[in-house]
Amino acid sequence: MDMDSSDSSKPAPSPRPARRKAERKDGDAFDLWLQRGLHQLYDDVAAEPIPPELLRLIEEDRTRRGK
Amino acid sequence: MPNEFHGQVIALLPRLRVQALALTRNRAAADDLVQDAVANALAAQNSFTPGTNFPAWMHRILRNRFISTLRKQRETTDIEDVPASAFAVSATHEDRLILKELGNAVNRLPADQREALFMVVLQGMSYEDVAEATGCAVGTAKSRVFRARRQLQTWLTGEESAEATTPENRTGENRYTGRPAASGMRRMSGKSGVGEHHLLA
Repeated sequence: MDMDSSDSSKPAPSPRPARRKAERKDGDAFDLWLQRGLHQLYDDVAAEPIPPELLRLIEEDRTRRGK
Repeated sequence: MPNEFHGQVIALLPRLRVQALALTRNRAAADDLVQDAVANALAAQNSFTPGTNFPAWMHRILRNRFISTLRKQRETTDIEDVPASAFAVSATHEDRLILKELGNAVNRLPADQREALFMVVLQGMSYEDVAEATGCAVGTAKSRVFRARRQLQTWLTGEESAEATTPENRTGENRYTGRPAASGMRRMSGKSGVGEHHLLA
């Protein structure tokens, strides 16, 4: 048996898959944190009341076209 | 169906406001943009085909309006807003700082990335809808969101590359669950990265 040739034909186990897995996990955790942070920052903006002049613009158009 | 159309516009206004903020990074400019986009949409409502994707149609109008305004202004005084929630009294001091840094980092993303990120993360839009609203391929929409996330991660954790480190060898200070790394923020502050030119291209 030629141990050398069989050993050399097999690629050495690479640490990359494990590292990639860790990075992916890390990225997923960051993405969750980012989602929470963005909602904290911008949900208030979305929840603010609609400016009356904008609603008036829409309602006037609705009335005009409904006639 | 005029009534249905107007109802859809009103229902979409909160999302349009956030999307306008993604583009302008300025509250007053975002409000103006929404107002202008709604006026355009009302004028063009006959061109909307009922039953098709209304949010994508409306977002497209908002985006086009922003681009045409940008072309006219090109050089504007840029006052970047971080939402007031970054200063909310309910958050701890450290949380407020982190939120403020996140807001600043988001504002430094290229506009097309910020826009796609907001659509997916805040509005829950699919990549297909983002692609339709922004006039790009689905793969491009995915890529923009991916790059935005990784860029923010790099800035806020102080890492140049996600491949360079693992969670185990990070210090607590560099974790995004703690204080973002000052070195990362320094790097970030040196970049303009505003990237509206991406939209004009």
